[in-house]
Amino acid sequence: MAKKKDVTPMRMRRRMNRRQEVSMFGPLLFASLIGLAIFSPSGAGLALIGLAPTIVLGLTAKGPNKSERTQCVGFMNIAGTMPFLAQVIARPNDLMFVATNPINLATMYGAGAVGYALVYVGPMVAAMVMQSMAQERIKNINQQKQALIELWGPEVIGDKDGGEEEPAWAKGGRHPGA
Amino acid sequence: MPSNQSAFGERYDIDTSAPLPEFTTLGGDAFKATDKERPGKDIYALVHHPSIPLRNDVYKTLKSRPIANLVNPIDRGLVNLDSKGIKQRLVTIFERPTGGALFGPDGKVNPRVNTNKLRQSVVLSALKAIAAVHKRGFTHRRILPSNMFFATSDGDEVLLGECYSEPAGFKVPFALEPLKLAIADESSRGEGGIEADFYQLGAALQSLYFGEQLWRGRDRNSVLMARVNQGSYWAISGGREIPGALGNLIRGLMADEEDERWSAEDVLDWFEGVGKPKRTSMKAWSMNRPTNFKSIAYVDRRLLADAFARDPREAAVFLKGIDFPAWVQLSFRDEILTERLEALLNVKSDGGLGGVRPDDYKMVARVCMFLHPTGPVHFRGHSFFLDGLAATLADAFARDDRDLIGVILDLFDEKFLNSLAEICTDRNTQLLTQVRALRPIMIHGASKQLGRGMERVLYALNPILPCVSQKFTNVWIGSIKQMMRALDRMAENGSMKNVLLDRHLAAFCSAHGSDLERDFSKIAAAQNDPARLNSIGAEFLGMLQRRFKLEPLHSLTEKLVDGLGPSIKALKNKKRRERVTALLEKVKKGGDIHKLTTELNISRIQVEDAREFSQARTAVQKLDRERAKLSRKILPTDVDARAKGLSWGRWLAFFVSVFIGFMTFVSA
Repeated sequence: MAKKKDVTPMRMRRRMNRRQEVSMFGPLLFASLIGLAIFSPSGAGLALIGLAPTIVLGLTAKGPNKSERTQCVGFMNIAGTMPFLAQVIARPNDLMFVATNPINLATMYGAGAVGYALVYVGPMVAAMVMQSMAQERIKNINQQKQALIELWGPEVIGDKDGGEEEPAWAKGGRHPGA
Repeated sequence: MPSNQSAFGERYDIDTSAPLPEFTTLGGDAFKATDKERPGKDIYALVHHPSIPLRNDVYKTLKSRPIANLVNPIDRGLVNLDSKGIKQRLVTIFERPTGGALFGPDGKVNPRVNTNKLRQSVVLSALKAIAAVHKRGFTHRRILPSNMFFATSDGDEVLLGECYSEPAGFKVPFALEPLKLAIADESSRGEGGIEADFYQLGAALQSLYFGEQLWRGRDRNSVLMARVNQGSYWAISGGREIPGALGNLIRGLMADEEDERWSAEDVLDWFEGVGKPKRTSMKAWSMNRPTNFKSIAYVDRRLLADAFARDPREAAVFLKGIDFPAWVQLSFRDEILTERLEALLNVKSDGGLGGVRPDDYKMVARVCMFLHPTGPVHFRGHSFFLDGLAATLADAFARDDRDLIGVILDLFDEKFLNSLAEICTDRNTQLLTQVRALRPIMIHGASKQLGRGMERVLYALNPILPCVSQKFTNVWIGSIKQMMRALDRMAENGSMKNVLLDRHLAAFCSAHGSDLERDFSKIAAAQNDPARLNSIGAEFLGMLQRRFKLEPLHSLTEKLVDGLGPSIKALKNKKRRERVTALLEKVKKGGDIHKLTTELNISRIQVEDAREFSQARTAVQKLDRERAKLSRKILPTDVDARAKGLSWGRWLAFFVSVFIGFMTFVSA
């Protein structure tokens, strides 16, 4: 029996990759938590509490760029949780103390909030940067176009009626003497 | 027109104010001439008419080895003549007999001609010339009383006039042509055989004897009927006998049956007095039963064929109205109408329905060939010997006789000609050979392509004919080299717009060059695009200049370069335009058209330019689209901005987490 060819279109494959990206962060995080639970159950407990914004977002996020948003919040949340996690791993009995300290909680969730801020600020910054890059590119395009006009005359932009069409004899690439 | 006289023209002084009518022929006008290098020599100049083909092989053989008792050509060349404006013409210089023509152009016989001279000098001199001519492998075919001259004013030596300035038998009076050839149209008699020369000698002697232009003032059909019924000798003399030995000679020479006609040996025997007078008879051309056609009863099948030929429409109606096999059986009891012959003749009665169809003309021609197998091809009111078609076509073009050209084109039907050849295969084997010789030429006839058509047939059949295009009426173009030089001069003096689209010029080039048809097809295809026509024309002329190893043609190159102006102007790429213009200026000075096309292949450049222009336009459109896309305001909500912003945010968060992780676990 002939082997069935993979006929999935490229665009669909790209979409599938994006979904895979989403699912990569979640499983990794889940695996890390399990690993941490084996190594340090207290640490895993703190991580569950500290990473609550990420976990909630991961479970509830919808719409486009879900993965990026989750990752933004997740990485910042991890960054905020990590110093306390080190402390709990070193002294597991401090779990309750660390977890109930409002400043600690504010720090961990605040880091998550910074992640959220990045989600909102990032596109703004990107839009500004892209706008500025587009201006540069427009300048470049104008220069290129000007060079083409100088070389080929205004007909190249379709200024003259005669320049619109390629001469009939040149169509089909007939060669002299052919 | 060349500005300078040729070396030939410098040597011979041609006095166009002193015409010599006795030497003038249909092929050219004779004038008094002087050889500056040999002032005492008696010569005359024949200024050829461009529309009449010459017998070039005759010139070559006579020039290399002149024949005694014949007016031989001495030299020929192109000369600028002042005759109704300056014109370049081919001129042949001939030895000039000074004793005068035996029969003057005024219609009077030379007073020095008498029976004794005819019997002693004229016959012997003519015989010497004819025998020598035949020994060289060609026939004279212009042995007319008006074309025989006394060599000197006091001697008895007689010379035959030249026979090279016009085709064999071309428009020779009906009575002076042997019966078989005379039936054909006057421009289509063909080469004929050596017997034809002996007939002409006999007819010329007869006219000289009676001192009358016996060929004048008589209706062709009545003379033909008389010649068939009574024999040419009696018919032309009007029933008058020539007594004595001279009468025997003339009667022998004018015998209508070729195998009964006297030959050179018979004439020699006659000189020695041992010749037995040959009996002249009218052989097997009679039908067993007369046929009534147009209220005339015909017994001779040649006459019936000629009557059919003169009125093919009536003949078609007649043939379709009879039971043809029964008619053949009753009229030609000696002949068996085989099934094959009947199928070849293909005479079908149409039951009186419809008029004359084009195929009916062919049917009449086939029946005529059956009736007179050794005669000409009778077709649509004309009678041609196929080897005389070249002259007929040249004459038709000279007179712009489109009807005749159309008839010849219709005749170029290989199947039809083959059927004619098969009908007469037993009695006329030459026809099949002639049809075979025509085959590669006639395929061009019906073509509308530039370089083909009937013009091509004209030049293929008459290789010696100059280009008779109206564009070159003042110049003589006998070769592609001459054509190129003429174009160079034309370019110097005026416009040469569309000159390559001239059908005559194209046909002339195609006939004289090889593999030029494709080039002319390209030229014809570009006729509506002047810029392209110029560039293709330049390529073509450049190729000719190289192929024929021509000298630099400055004016032509300059004109072509100027003509390329629009093409160059049409080039879109500025840099390329400047480069090509600079190169053109350089080539213009050199006069080498070939360089113009090799170093500067305009067509290729045009194609390249158009292709690159098209690419540039696509690039501009792409840039425009991109600019339009970039010109709009980018918002954070845009998909791209959002994706990028989130992506950057993610990486930032990642690095922050890595940094914090590093600081927490590693540095602590």
